[in-house]
Amino acid sequence: MIICPSCHNQEFVGALFCSVCGAQLTYQTKSPTETVQYPEPGDPSASAAETRVISPSAALSSRVSIKIKETGQIIPLEGSEEFTIGRVSGTQPILPDIDLTPFKAYQGGVSRLHAILRIKGEEITISDLGSANGTYVNGVRIAPYELVPLSNGDLISLGKFPIEIFIR
Amino acid sequence: MPIPPDYYAMLGVPRDASPEEIRRAYHQAALRLHPDVNTEVGETELFLDIQRAFEVLADPELRAKYDKQLPPVERERPPFEIYLLYSRNILPVINEPQLVYALVNISPPGSEAGSEYAPLNVCLVLDRSTSMQGERMDTVKNTAIELVRQLQPGDILSIVTFSDRAEVIVPSDRRVDRSAFETKIQMISTGGSTEIFRGLEAGYQEIRVNYQRKYINHIVLLTDGRTYGDEANCMKIADQAAVRGIGISCLGIGEEWNDVFLDQLAARTGGTCTYIARSSDIRRFLKEKILGLSRTYADHVRFDFHLGKDVELRYAFRLAPDIAPLETSSPIQLGNLQKGSTLSIVLEFLVPPIPEQVNRVALATGQIVMDIPSLSTPTAVSRLRLFREARTNPAPEPAPTGMLNALSRLTLYRIQEHASQEISRGNVESATKYLNNLATNLFAQGHPELARSVLQEVERVQDGQKVSEEGKKRIKYGTRALLLPASADAFSPLEIFEEGEA
Repeated sequence: MIICPSCHNQEFVGALFCSVCGAQLTYQTKSPTETVQYPEPGDPSASAAETRVISPSAALSSRVSIKIKETGQIIPLEGSEEFTIGRVSGTQPILPDIDLTPFKAYQGGVSRLHAILRIKGEEITISDLGSANGTYVNGVRIAPYELVPLSNGDLISLGKFPIEIFIR
Repeated sequence: MPIPPDYYAMLGVPRDASPEEIRRAYHQAALRLHPDVNTEVGETELFLDIQRAFEVLADPELRAKYDKQLPPVERERPPFEIYLLYSRNILPVINEPQLVYALVNISPPGSEAGSEYAPLNVCLVLDRSTSMQGERMDTVKNTAIELVRQLQPGDILSIVTFSDRAEVIVPSDRRVDRSAFETKIQMISTGGSTEIFRGLEAGYQEIRVNYQRKYINHIVLLTDGRTYGDEANCMKIADQAAVRGIGISCLGIGEEWNDVFLDQLAARTGGTCTYIARSSDIRRFLKEKILGLSRTYADHVRFDFHLGKDVELRYAFRLAPDIAPLETSSPIQLGNLQKGSTLSIVLEFLVPPIPEQVNRVALATGQIVMDIPSLSTPTAVSRLRLFREARTNPAPEPAPTGMLNALSRLTLYRIQEHASQEISRGNVESATKYLNNLATNLFAQGHPELARSVLQEVERVQDGQKVSEEGKKRIKYGTRALLLPASADAFSPLEIFEEGEA
């Protein structure tokens, strides 16, 4: 048997999705949850999760990337058309594509599934996923579940957590 | 020289079938058609045909002689193509059960653009019980009249109404001037209770009047109510219909109808079951259904098979052209294959522990059989062997994207199924867990409205209230609709229908 990492339900070997919480049980193909290493080690959740250091060249070669304002870290958005942004806590059924936990996202008021970035051809949009503290684009709060187009340099605030978007 | 009867088609086996395959096909057909179990009038002949086919094909000498009389196979290329995708190529040899998924895509041969029109033999079975009164009945009547006017001269459309008894409004007749019946349709009045068996039985009789394999034979049942006590009889009709390749599709209006029952009824014949929330949608769905039937390339598609040793088929689901849960025992009725489109099903197998010396695991062996009305010998058969190699410690392999896409959404539908099972068992805590998980996934995948409907039901369940029938159906058919290919949204069948067939 294999154990679902999200809800600890037991599934047969060969199952591709958890039948209880819907989490994907194989992560080989696309958009695995990326946890970016926080420059100040010591946050336990960062070391527990799968870590991946982004080289600056990778970040630069990517068409779309986001910058964590607090730390200056750049996260390239590649390999998918959709990226959910949020943080990981305890027994949550589905994980965000971009996990902001190591950046003290909880203190910043980021919900577990806070927002989703979509890259569709030339158009890049953000939608709030009904988060507790809301999503702001250039200081204006956006309505939940609405597609809001983004342009290069837009400042996004997830609750009080600021990120900047770069589009090449 | 007269063309001899096609014994291979009668048994549904390919021309090069092995004696074992012939014996197995005969055995399965006999189980269904033997006069001891099948007491319907006029059915003994069907059984005698099978009997005769078996006698000839089981005897090597008779078979060789018979084969010589057969016209050469008329087609150079196969009449349909099968494309297979598995969740993994190599199964690990392990001492515990494991799951394997197979995605089976069946399509007409590439060049089949679909100029030929498949004539219909359709019976509309319309509920006229008291609850249909008003807008529902008016829309149904107007749509029925539209259909009567628009169908091709070669088509047969009969109409039956039912409440606690059935009445034939438009009889099944090829030559009849259907427009003469418009007044009769207009005069259908509502009243009485819903006894689906009455309507189904009468509809089945009408279809049988002009039943021929060159037609697309189909019953379309439209109801808004629940039937009581006659479900088993309805299933019997569905089983008889399935043997002949007569499909049954159901359209349920509003909240009161029994979706579980009608899903099963449709699944027995490979038909579809559709939820119509508003009366204003009746016209669109009914016409879409009939249009879909008229685009049929092959009818009565089925998968006849036996499972590998100790292998279990846990789940079968049709992803395209219509979404529907399928039966899991042979033969599985797969429904219609439409021109220019793909019939896609997903199968979930549970494989027993694999011993070390085994390097090949048979999942299911059998054949895909279908009736293609445009061919002179309509029954087409192709072998389908589902198997995987097994090895100790194979390299890990990612599941193909096509498989992941199909299963990620099917998983949501199945979570919904679990939730409604738990609700019916009264397990509030477990049901709440499933529904909450479903809502989270729906939000994340960009379906907030559906997610909110789910959360509303969570609140009701937690308050100790009964789940609303409307909410339950919205969630079930909502999650089901997510499985439709994205292109289906952009496609507007109604307009094409109104332009008429060239």
